Amino acid sequence: MKVFSFVLVFLITVVLGYVVSIPMGPAPPVAPLLDPNHGFWQNMYSEDQLAEETIQLEGLSAPVKVSYDENLIPHIFAQNEEDLYRVQGYVTAQHRLWQMEFQTMAAAGRISEIVGPVALELDRMTRRKGLAYGAELGYEFVKENYPEMLDLLEAYADGVNQYIASLDDARLPVEYKILNYRPENWSSYKSLLLLKYMSDMLVGDRDLQYSNLRKILGEEKLNVLFPEFPAENDPVIEAERVWDFEPIQVENPDAGSYPNDELVIDPLPQPEEGVGSNNWAVAGWKTKNGNPILANDPHLSLNLPSLWYSMQLSTLEHTVKGATLPGALGVISGFNENIAWGVTNATKDARDWYKITFQDDSRKTYRYGSEWREANHRIEEIKIKGQEPYYDTVVYTHYGPVVYDRTFGSERQDVNFALKWTAHMGSNEQLTFIKMNKAKNHDDYNDALNHFTAPAQNFVFASVSGDIAMRIQGKFPVKWEKQGKFFMDGADPQMEWQAFIPNEQNPSTLNPERGFVSSANQHPVDPSYPYYVFDNSYEHYRNRRLNNRLREMNSITIDQMKELQFDDYYLHAAEALPVMLELLGNEIGEGEKAEKYLNELKSWDFYADPNQKGPTLFYNWWNKTYNQIWNDWMEWDISVVYPNNYETVRLLKLSPESEFFDHKGTEAIETARDHVRNGFAEMVESMSEWGQEEGDYTWANYKRTSIQHLVPQFRPFSVENVYTGGGRGILNATSERHGASWRMVVELGTPIKAFGIYPGGQSGNPGSKFYSNFISKWANGDYLNFDLRTEDQEENLLFQTTFTN
Amino acid sequence: MKFILFLLLSIVLVIFLNPFLPFWGVMIGLGLLSLLVQPEGGAAFFGGGFGMGLAWMGLAFYLSAETGSNLPDKMAQLFGLGNGTYMILATGFLGFLLGAFSSWSGQLLRNMLKKKPQNIYMG
Repeated sequence: MKVFSFVLVFLITVVLGYVVSIPMGPAPPVAPLLDPNHGFWQNMYSEDQLAEETIQLEGLSAPVKVSYDENLIPHIFAQNEEDLYRVQGYVTAQHRLWQMEFQTMAAAGRISEIVGPVALELDRMTRRKGLAYGAELGYEFVKENYPEMLDLLEAYADGVNQYIASLDDARLPVEYKILNYRPENWSSYKSLLLLKYMSDMLVGDRDLQYSNLRKILGEEKLNVLFPEFPAENDPVIEAERVWDFEPIQVENPDAGSYPNDELVIDPLPQPEEGVGSNNWAVAGWKTKNGNPILANDPHLSLNLPSLWYSMQLSTLEHTVKGATLPGALGVISGFNENIAWGVTNATKDARDWYKITFQDDSRKTYRYGSEWREANHRIEEIKIKGQEPYYDTVVYTHYGPVVYDRTFGSERQDVNFALKWTAHMGSNEQLTFIKMNKAKNHDDYNDALNHFTAPAQNFVFASVSGDIAMRIQGKFPVKWEKQGKFFMDGADPQMEWQAFIPNEQNPSTLNPERGFVSSANQHPVDPSYPYYVFDNSYEHYRNRRLNNRLREMNSITIDQMKELQFDDYYLHAAEALPVMLELLGNEIGEGEKAEKYLNELKSWDFYADPNQKGPTLFYNWWNKTYNQIWNDWMEWDISVVYPNNYETVRLLKLSPESEFFDHKGTEAIETARDHVRNGFAEMVESMSEWGQEEGDYTWANYKRTSIQHLVPQFRPFSVENVYTGGGRGILNATSERHGASWRMVVELGTPIKAFGIYPGGQSGNPGSKFYSNFISKWANGDYLNFDLRTEDQEENLLFQTTFTN
Repeated sequence: MKFILFLLLSIVLVIFLNPFLPFWGVMIGLGLLSLLVQPEGGAAFFGGGFGMGLAWMGLAFYLSAETGSNLPDKMAQLFGLGNGTYMILATGFLGFLLGAFSSWSGQLLRNMLKKKPQNIYMG
């Protein structure tokens, strides 16, 4: 009896202990998570409560002091660069380990390892685009050409790894605890992979959609709706710029073979609308204090932990401060004692698609001119949580990987397309930032940029010595007219990229007469630039608003530049609404609501401020009208590109009777008037409904900006319904899920005055008080002081740590 | 009396052992404790259970108060539990279960191993 009761109770105990230590479906093991000594309870500590006076870090040549200011921004004071980056790695990992690893796992196509089979298709896509392949080439390139760079990358990785080695269960970031896995070691390769990830986030192409649409509409109509340059082109590099170089000429193939209408496949996922950025610099003579002022705000998906992490990095030779990317070395957008720089995306159709004709089913050779070329087969092993690994064979041609083939996507047609992308070419973007961090003048800036391949960026520059500059940098193929706008036949050698634009012929400007440089993702140049320039996603509103403001402003102050970053003027509405009201006339239908909305629209000042109703009504009306106009195309059920807002407004205004407004399927002949009126009626209906369900339809309440945790299912770790204005195509580009992921304004006087803010917090830990503490300031258009600190400065210190060997 | 003593000893054991050992180490510790201290069945079950449950709940409560973090609320929402108070209760309940069965096992093991007194006389 005694034996029996012991065995029974003991078994219950063992089973109980076992059950609480294993995951239950998607839920993590419950006991390790709830154990208050090791589980999530330990993640409630904020970083200042865990502050250590000294930390031992092997491999340092001298002690390194780190001062955290009141916002938990670390200021690292090292004797040399190798020590600096070793500590940068350690400190970044302390605050952002989970995020930096998760992002590189995503870039490597390894999310299935963490979350299981749900991510398999995503991982296959990532791998088939060749991100890891590109990073491997990048790693080899750095190893061969820049061994001293590799030492710094290794030092950073070692710093991260020493932190991981010191990590106990209690300090493990809470996401690891919930998802039930542990960090693996960091490596230099992962730092390079992270920069490839940025490429992927920022680069798109519409080759498919243009190919389809051209087939349907024909070249002539396509050119009407999609002009290569807009009527009011206000490019990045001022239109007056004279190009005084001899451009490289490329052979334009026989017109007969291109574009080929038979080439159609499914599209790659594209970067989200609303991903873009602003940057500008004004010359000293236009500012109140006589110093140049530089501003930068990259717009990206709004996430927590924030993409950016602020730091000051100092050695005996240089001191730089600004926004870093956790996982990459140095500062990405920032300033030092001599210069400031910033980035915006300068996409220029960097991806092209080539149709591959294989000799037979083995896919070992493919046609190229009159010969058969050999293809490489790369086998991707995708580990899956709770399952056997998945093996995916990806065929690589000399163009690049065959993304879609018989095993992946595109069930409808048996197609093989190879992706040619500058991100697959060996390059060393990391070196650009290392050099820029130490740059002292315009020459150093140019030298740093020469190493930058992808993703192409508009690099703005200003210096204490009074220079302002802009350069569009990336590795750009020299293209013949319309090359790569549509699909190309990979068997025809004439379709190849034949040369690259030399760095010194990339569009750039130094101290232009107008007294400012600026970029907002618009066309890079005026048509006089001697190379073919094309991209689908060029901006038409922010650039004009920005340049108009900068042209008319004088004796500019830092505060005015902050206001400009937060400017809510809705230029698209200002141009479209009067046209729409005119077309609408008195045909507003029945009901009080319609009249009320109309009056609210008429009295609106075109500012998309959070407390305004106008932007909500306009936004809604515009979308309904836009859908009405292009409804015909949407019904084709084929992936095509739609005319942008700018061209659509022009069509409404200049040719309201245009044939494009007529829907072919109906008997009546529709004009702009019909669509605007139908759009209005739909808007009234949907807004009344919305008003009944949700109440207040002021802009912030309607827009509902949310800053989402990197794992969207972790909603409690997100910050939702942020009260802030702005939107797509507005300088303050804060839409539902995108917006200014970092705002910086720097006045290059003596001393330098700097301000910065981002929607998040320095800590990646959702339990820390530094996790999301910047968000309310960011939403109000407020900034943090970003002045450079000296090593012995005492004020506003949170704590200090000394790293010793 | 033994119950109170065992309860206190259990709490002390969890507080001092748990920072260094995972939860299953503490379970073994509680089993051994009950083997040594020899409480009655009920005292072992409830003493060990409340010992580990209260120690866990107390620490969870203390950490919440000390840090002022809203993480328990976020975790509670993530797991569909309402608010952070339920996380403290869940932690206490889990501690109770683990502690109770561990101590009871130890007590029953002792019972089993104990030589029966009558054997001495009946030889």
